[in-house]
Amino acid sequence: MKAGRLTALVGIVTLVFLVMPILIVVGMSFSSASSLQFPPPGLSLRWYRSFFGDPRWVEALVTSTMLAFASSIVALVLGSAAAYGIVRGRFPGRGFIDANFMAPLIVPTIVVAVAMYLALAKVGLLGTWVGLVASHVVLSVPFVVLVVGVAIRSFDERIEQVAFTLGASRLQTVTRVLLPNLVPSLASAWILALIASFDEVIVTLFVAGVYQTVPKRMFNELVLEVNPTITAIATILIAVSVLAMAAIGLITARRGGLLKTMIGR
Amino acid sequence: MRIGRNAGSYVVPLLVLMVVAFDVPILLMLAQSVLSPHPTVAHWAEFTESPIYFRVLGNTFQIAVITSAVCGLIGYPLAYWMRGLGGRAQLAVVTLVLLPFWISILVRTYAWIVVLGNNGFVNRSLIGLGITDRPISFLYNQLGVTIGTTNVLLPFLVLPLFAAMLKIDERLLQAAATLGAPRRAIFWRVFFPLSLPAFAAGLVLVFILTLGFYVTPAILGGGRVPMISNMLDVLINQMPRWELAAAISTLLLAATLALYGVYRTIAARSAS
Repeated sequence: MKAGRLTALVGIVTLVFLVMPILIVVGMSFSSASSLQFPPPGLSLRWYRSFFGDPRWVEALVTSTMLAFASSIVALVLGSAAAYGIVRGRFPGRGFIDANFMAPLIVPTIVVAVAMYLALAKVGLLGTWVGLVASHVVLSVPFVVLVVGVAIRSFDERIEQVAFTLGASRLQTVTRVLLPNLVPSLASAWILALIASFDEVIVTLFVAGVYQTVPKRMFNELVLEVNPTITAIATILIAVSVLAMAAIGLITARRGGLLKTMIGR
Repeated sequence: MRIGRNAGSYVVPLLVLMVVAFDVPILLMLAQSVLSPHPTVAHWAEFTESPIYFRVLGNTFQIAVITSAVCGLIGYPLAYWMRGLGGRAQLAVVTLVLLPFWISILVRTYAWIVVLGNNGFVNRSLIGLGITDRPISFLYNQLGVTIGTTNVLLPFLVLPLFAAMLKIDERLLQAAATLGAPRRAIFWRVFFPLSLPAFAAGLVLVFILTLGFYVTPAILGGGRVPMISNMLDVLINQMPRWELAAAISTLLLAATLALYGVYRTIAARSAS
C-alpha cells in the first residue's frame, strides 16, 4: 500500500526537519560573516583558521582523540571477550550479566554522571585520566558487546568444535579460528566505541576535572555565548561521523548486517 | 558440551570493570541519599517539601509528554511514507534518518541556535516574507527546548516503527481490499492496529529519553527551562548538595527503569 499525497508531504517535511539543521551548520562554517547570518554573505575558511589557530581548541582535540583511542581499545578488548563469554558460555545468570553490560545505554546518562562523580570523589580519582577513561569505557562498551555478540551468534559453533576436536586450545580456537572471521564486526564495533567516546559530553563534564575535550569545551562555550568558530568544529565532528558511518557501511556492505542491527531486527 | 564449559570466564574482566566503575557507584549513590551522614530521610523530606523541585519535575514531565506527542504525530507519517518507497529511494531515506544518530547531540542542538536565533534562517525568512516585523523568540524558552528535543529523539521512534511496518504482511491489506474495504478502513482497521505496539513502544522510548535529557535543555533553554538533569547539575556542581542530588537521581533512575519495563513489555508484543 503506497502512502497518500498528504502523508508523503508530512513525511518529506519531517525528513527536512530532521536533516536541515545539520546542512545549515555545514554551510555556515564556510561563512565570511562575523555573526550567524543565513544565507552567508560570502565564503571563507576564517572559522577553520580560528579553530586551528587557537591552542586551547587544538589541545582539546588532542585530548579527545587520545581519550577516544584509549577507551575504545579497552572497550573493544574487554567487550569482545565478554560477548564471547555470554554467547558461548553456559552458566547461570548470563542474561542478568548481559543486561548489566547493556545498562549504561538505558540508565539516563545524567544519573551515570552523578553516580560516577560521587564515587570518583570518594576514592580521590575525580579529574584523573584513569577515572575519565574508565567512565568512557563503561559508556561505550555496550555497543561492542552488542555488535560483536550478534556476529559471534551468527558464526557456526560447530567450526569451533572442529578446531577443539583437532586439538586446539580455547585460546587458539578464539584467536586463530573465531577472530579472523569477526574482523568486519570488530572494526565496526571499534568505530562505534570510538565515536561514542569522541562525542561524549555529559559524564565528561562531571568527571573530567581540568581535562578539556572538544565536546566539553564546546558545551561550555555554547552555554555562555554563540561563537561562529563552533560551526567549524561542528562541521569537523559531522565529517568524522559521516566518514565513520561510511566506513562501517563499506565494511558491512557484503553482509548487510549492521543496518539491520541498528534498526533493531 | 566442551565449548560452553569455561567460555564463561571470558566475561570476567569486563564484569569486574562494570561492578567497580558502574554498579558500585550507582549503589553508593542510592545509599548516599538515605545514609549520609547517618541513616536519615531528611534529604527525601527536603525534596518532597519544597515546591521548586516539584515545579521542575512537572516541567520535565510536561516537555516529555509534548515531545512524545509531536514525535508521534510527525514520526508515524514519515515511517509510513518510508514503507511505501521503492528500493533505492528507501535506502537513501533510511540513511538520512540514521545520519543524525551518528552526529553528536551537541552539534544537532547547536544547529538550532543557527536556525532559530534572532538573526537565524527562520526569522530572516519570516521577516523577508513580511509575516512579522520583529524576530520571534524561539530560543531560551520551552518552545525551543521542545523543538530541539523532538529533533534529536525523532529517529528513536521512526526507525523501530519503520522496521515493524516493513514486517506487516502486504497480503493482509490486499485481502481487506479484495473484500471491498475502502483505503481509509484498510488503514485504520488493519494496518494501524498492527503497527500500534511498535508505535506505543516508540512513544514510551522517547518519553524515557526526554526525562533524562541534559544537553539540549541546557543549551536551548538558556537556564530558563529547568529540567531534572539541569537541576542535578546545579545540585552537584554549584550548590553543592550531593545527598539531595543522589535522592533525585534515584527517583529518576526508578522512573526510567519502571518505564523501560513497560517499553520492553510493549516491544515484546510487537515482535511476536
